[in-house]
Amino acid sequence: MFARAARALRDPGSSTIDARRASLGILAAFLAPALLIYAGFTIYPVIRTFYNAFFTIKPQGVVDFVGFGNFTALLFADPTFWKAVTNTALFTIVATIVDVIGGLLLALVLFARAPLAPLLRVVWFTPVLMSYVVVGIIWVWMYDYDWGLANATLRWLGLGGWEQSWLGQPSTALWSVLAAHEWKWLGFNMIVFLAALHALPGEVLGAAELDNCGWLAKLVYIIVPMLRTTVVNLTVLSFIGKMMVFDLIWVMTGGGPLWATETVSTYVYKRAFEWNTFDLGYPSAIAVLWFIIILAFIAIITRVFRQRDKLEF
Amino acid sequence: MHASLSMRGVTAAGLIALALLIGAAPGANAQGVTIEVWSHEADEPAKVAFREQAVKNFEKSHPGTKVKITWYEKNPLNAALKTALPAGQGPDVFYVEPDQTEYITAGYVTPLDDLVNWNNIEPWARKVWTHNGKTYGVAQEAYTVELYYNKDMLQKLGVALPASNQFTQAQFLDLVKKARAAGMTPISQGVGDRPYPGAYITVEALLRKLGPDDYEKLFTGKLSFADPRVVEVLKWVKELADAGAYPKNFMTLKLGESHYYFYSKPGALMLPMGSFYTGRAFVPEDKGGQPPTFPLGIMQFPAMNGGACNDCKTSTVGASFAINAASKNKKLAGEFLDAMSTPEMGKMWIETVYLQTGIKADVKQFTGPHAAYFTELMERQKGKKYFVGQPRDMVKGECKDAFAQVLNSGFPGGLISVDQTVQMMNKACYKS
Repeated sequence: MFARAARALRDPGSSTIDARRASLGILAAFLAPALLIYAGFTIYPVIRTFYNAFFTIKPQGVVDFVGFGNFTALLFADPTFWKAVTNTALFTIVATIVDVIGGLLLALVLFARAPLAPLLRVVWFTPVLMSYVVVGIIWVWMYDYDWGLANATLRWLGLGGWEQSWLGQPSTALWSVLAAHEWKWLGFNMIVFLAALHALPGEVLGAAELDNCGWLAKLVYIIVPMLRTTVVNLTVLSFIGKMMVFDLIWVMTGGGPLWATETVSTYVYKRAFEWNTFDLGYPSAIAVLWFIIILAFIAIITRVFRQRDKLEF
Repeated sequence: MHASLSMRGVTAAGLIALALLIGAAPGANAQGVTIEVWSHEADEPAKVAFREQAVKNFEKSHPGTKVKITWYEKNPLNAALKTALPAGQGPDVFYVEPDQTEYITAGYVTPLDDLVNWNNIEPWARKVWTHNGKTYGVAQEAYTVELYYNKDMLQKLGVALPASNQFTQAQFLDLVKKARAAGMTPISQGVGDRPYPGAYITVEALLRKLGPDDYEKLFTGKLSFADPRVVEVLKWVKELADAGAYPKNFMTLKLGESHYYFYSKPGALMLPMGSFYTGRAFVPEDKGGQPPTFPLGIMQFPAMNGGACNDCKTSTVGASFAINAASKNKKLAGEFLDAMSTPEMGKMWIETVYLQTGIKADVKQFTGPHAAYFTELMERQKGKKYFVGQPRDMVKGECKDAFAQVLNSGFPGGLISVDQTVQMMNKACYKS
């Protein structure tokens, strides 16, 4: 088997390199390492999470089968879960819209060769290279009531009456975290859009200019329709990422104040590791339910756009 | 020739295997063994130096045995332990605090009754770690909950501390108002990275108002938060919060930052804190410590009107160490715990960390640059009745979460009313 594989490598023109004609043994030998890692670190944990969701796990490995008990409790007797769902939905919808539209606008600024465009590209993209933990710590300082940049700027502008404990008020905490997220993430979408803009056929844009097409009309009737696939892909990717938001919120607020920034992911973590129990059953049920909800939404989005575009994610 | 070589080979292999087996026998030979320790408190140099000294002492008395300490911050340490221990992995010895009883109920820590020399540990410290007749942790750090204050600021306000070192409820509220009017932050406190400091004023008031028995009942779900005495305390704390007792950045200020806020910038009149305050304050000023001339004082928490136990005080065990039930080196791990708990190490703890300890230590004369502080701390303990443990040691699950979100942050942060607090706490904690 390995001899055949080696022969195939030595002689790329031989028929054995064609994966469609390779024997199952050869395919298995090449796929096994990756499949084993995938099975051990992805498939097994997923199956185990589904399995755990139907049990209450007690200390010393004792498990009690509870059927759909965890799901029933979750759906009908856990207000914190619903608070987390509401916050996650709000964060996901707003952040996805801002991510896509904001990224496109920034890319258009650079595409139009605005003054200082090369510098702006670096400035806008640099936060993407930082980890969420670093971004979170920086923004907690920025939002500090006494010495943070946000309130200092307001005072400097003579708007001291508007200063806030941005992360300490339930009404502003989620939006403040969202602003930090956008600061970090807009640059990524900008780069993707910029690459897509540069790939647009020049003759179409040139023809539009010859027809005296204004910039707004060119944007609405030519550029955006031609970027449709990129928009859809970024929307889906952004949606999935936001539905699982954890690290930034954990660093900045830990889900507080008064659960105002609690998301499904932070709630799963708290139930699994912060509640002084080793019960992984209930948090597994939350994870399973959320997995199904995300999957359903992706299926819907895919179905909506499937007619005209093939998604690549 | 070939056969004889093979025989020699087989014999050599047999001898090597035998040697390995002997080496692997527990306790038979400690050569080459490394005791793995996971510890919190990397940001407290005196405690780091203390534990590293214990490692040196242990390695000297156990030639060939090594101790490797991995330093963590508290939250990452707990997350690492909660994944490692159920998998039968993790270190031989790890940092633990008395509220983490889930390790005991889950069987992840081993009973230490026969592994540790208990003659060197204070009986009350052992009792904290005794569950169902077995002892699971060695207490290293013990502390009381204190109300630190800036003597100069108090003088500037023209307020004198009573001889009992304890204000009344009304006097304390008046002090807070005076401080705020004078442009001072009355109480430095923040809940940015801990689920308990924001509740210090509330729970200490509850302890004095209710007395130890009802106080314990309150946090174990046997007494309602709607009890009139509890409501009275909550109303008083609400008055403090509304009078601007806490900093504006209360919600994001971290524990270490609240120390700095108190003794350096911008400065505050008071700081309610465990007596582990010294771990951060008594480091050189250029490393974020308290200025050498800082006028530090300690007062008692205020006496409650009609309080059942105004002489009560919270005392508890903090940093402790336990042995992983899955450890293959339990005996050696126990000997390492002994090396951390000798009377000499106890003396070193008091003289360098400036904090109480569960280790028996005969220190009659306090020396060093902070001797006056430690003398004052001991003075404040005279005639006090201790309640051993804190609410966060008693609450679990949903109640633990509500304690962190409501009593620790939302209520003192002025976000909710007394009625909402009672309702939220009862829903999560009270088992009627």
